[in-house]
Amino acid sequence: MLETFSVEFSGVLFVVSSIKAKVEVKDLTRVERIGAHSHIRGLGLNDLLEARLNSEGMVGQEEARRAAGMICEMIKEGKIAGRAVLIAGQPGTGKTAIAMAMAQSLGHDTPFTSISASEIFSLEMSRTEALTHAFRRSIGVRIKEEAEVIEGEVVEIQIDRPVCGSGSKVGKLTMKTTEMETIYDLGAKMIESLTKEKVQEGDVIHIDKLTGRISKLGRSFSRARDFDATAANTRFVSCPEGELQKHKEVVHTVSLHEIDVINSRHQGFLALFSGETGEIKPEVRDQIDAKIAEWCLEKKAELVPGVLFIDEVHMLDLECFSFLNRALENKMAPILVMATNRGITKVRGTNYKSPHGMPLDLLDRLLIITTRPYTNDEIRLILSIRCEEEDVKMESAALDVLAKISAETSLRYGIQLITTASIICYRRNDEAVSVSDVERVYSLFVDEARSTQFLREYQNDFLGDENVLDGDMVMATQ
Amino acid sequence: MTDWLSQVKNAKKSCMVQNNLKKVHYDFGNGREMVEEYNTDTNVVTRRAWKLKNGMDAEGEWDIELGDPEVNFNKEQLLFIKESSTQPVVTRRNTRINLEWRIRNLPYPIETYSVVVDEEKKSLVVRTTNKKYYKVLRIPELDRLYLQPVQEAVRITHKFNTLIITYKKPKQLLELEKNVLEEVNKIKPNNYGDMDCKPS
Repeated sequence: MLETFSVEFSGVLFVVSSIKAKVEVKDLTRVERIGAHSHIRGLGLNDLLEARLNSEGMVGQEEARRAAGMICEMIKEGKIAGRAVLIAGQPGTGKTAIAMAMAQSLGHDTPFTSISASEIFSLEMSRTEALTHAFRRSIGVRIKEEAEVIEGEVVEIQIDRPVCGSGSKVGKLTMKTTEMETIYDLGAKMIESLTKEKVQEGDVIHIDKLTGRISKLGRSFSRARDFDATAANTRFVSCPEGELQKHKEVVHTVSLHEIDVINSRHQGFLALFSGETGEIKPEVRDQIDAKIAEWCLEKKAELVPGVLFIDEVHMLDLECFSFLNRALENKMAPILVMATNRGITKVRGTNYKSPHGMPLDLLDRLLIITTRPYTNDEIRLILSIRCEEEDVKMESAALDVLAKISAETSLRYGIQLITTASIICYRRNDEAVSVSDVERVYSLFVDEARSTQFLREYQNDFLGDENVLDGDMVMATQ
Repeated sequence: MTDWLSQVKNAKKSCMVQNNLKKVHYDFGNGREMVEEYNTDTNVVTRRAWKLKNGMDAEGEWDIELGDPEVNFNKEQLLFIKESSTQPVVTRRNTRINLEWRIRNLPYPIETYSVVVDEEKKSLVVRTTNKKYYKVLRIPELDRLYLQPVQEAVRITHKFNTLIITYKKPKQLLELEKNVLEEVNKIKPNNYGDMDCKPS
């Protein structure tokens, strides 16, 4: 649902639209697809910001979670801009999970933008522009607007053509609530909107007096018997109560990026949907920054700084890192959370090696959180949580075997086996996954180590580069 | 809202006298402005208006609390929808002893109307038995004194298609008005209505 309202300042029209996703009431049976991190509900910390062993979907990794909790507190205070955090650790140690948990614990009000570093490489716009988009998407603006609205049931619409040839139509609209009835004079534009929306007698409508927008709320119950007028998907609502004209205070939440796009060109709000925003001039951005600062002073708007999460940040190159250095110093910067699993490796765009693939001057500005590999018990707990999430019943012995497998190979491999084993179990017409199911799946799907072993033995039979496995180009985990 | 009288005392005031009309302008500091017009013969406020801060535009509008509404022809042309001129209109007037509301364009006989004090909303609710008119009327004078409106003070009459609601001013309100009048009389008027520019 796109709502638009416009404000004018020294000749420049700022049309601000807020796109509100329609929040459907969640059913108990979730129909959404289950993702790798959908079991995470929060960081699982207690009031002292200490991590509980198994809480809100998070298991183990206490130090990292505690640090993340402190960062969240900092974000909630909202006073400190431009902090950057790096979560570094081996693959499969919960880095992305912690970022997801931070997003959940901050709630829906805080803007949380999650991107992968490779996303900013695009032919359509430069890397710095893509990064700026991501930064500005993470800062929200909460704008309070007072509006006069008329809400009621339509009793009669009377539109007359003018007596003498040309001239605009005149119209009268009679609306009522449970307590009163009023006749309104209609302007030409309103008559157009009414005919376009096909408003009929008995419809319950909502008119914004300032913008002239009409929205149909449904049909009145008293007209439920007019079968001719009802369509298949007609919604019936009760007649509104009280006064027809009310004073409503609406709070719109938009991100700075959306404001940028809308003001960057004519009919800019269409660009929000199509995504073809192109490069936005810095003058536009400066103007918008000044405007927002003014609104904040007048208490008309409120800045909501959020979080930008960049995953796989080692994919950024030197130009991007230099840009980040500068962007972090802007007073309208969100909190930057980055994650990487690289050790000492080459910085993209250069020939020198650096920890985590990031230049030292950027590393200097970061708070670094490290994650360590999970213990066997933690692995077992995580697997049982995933079983619950994926709706798979598993025997305890099978879970033990799976935990052992995961400890030897990798956590992700173990998680993959859960659903596959459940399919075999289902084929057997059994309820719970047994050890034999797990063993079967283990033999069907090889993990990374066995695959490498297999290749070593049979590499001559495969197509492609010879002896590549023994070269120094292999990515080996320490 | 702090005590009304102290707010009035602390505000920057300026006044102007024109014929038998005294115009007083209050500046309360945090952007709120008010203008009152007193009839110098009866010392009753005939007009009170608050300046609405739009927040963005330089020029704000005046919200008329007492007196006839201001007609802004420019704005009217831009309106999408407005109430028909045959619809009931509420205007306010005050006398020395009463607060008055006049609702024009109400043709129904007096029996159809009921004016009831709503304790929760601290206002008067006007209803008609034929479900044609409903209005919630706030009483800013009583709100400023944190007083609760009482049903006994309400009287209604109906003449010439106009419903007249009168509310007898309580003692505290009369006292407050006397004090405010004292403050107002202390202000030195800018001029006595002489025009600044002399037409040639």
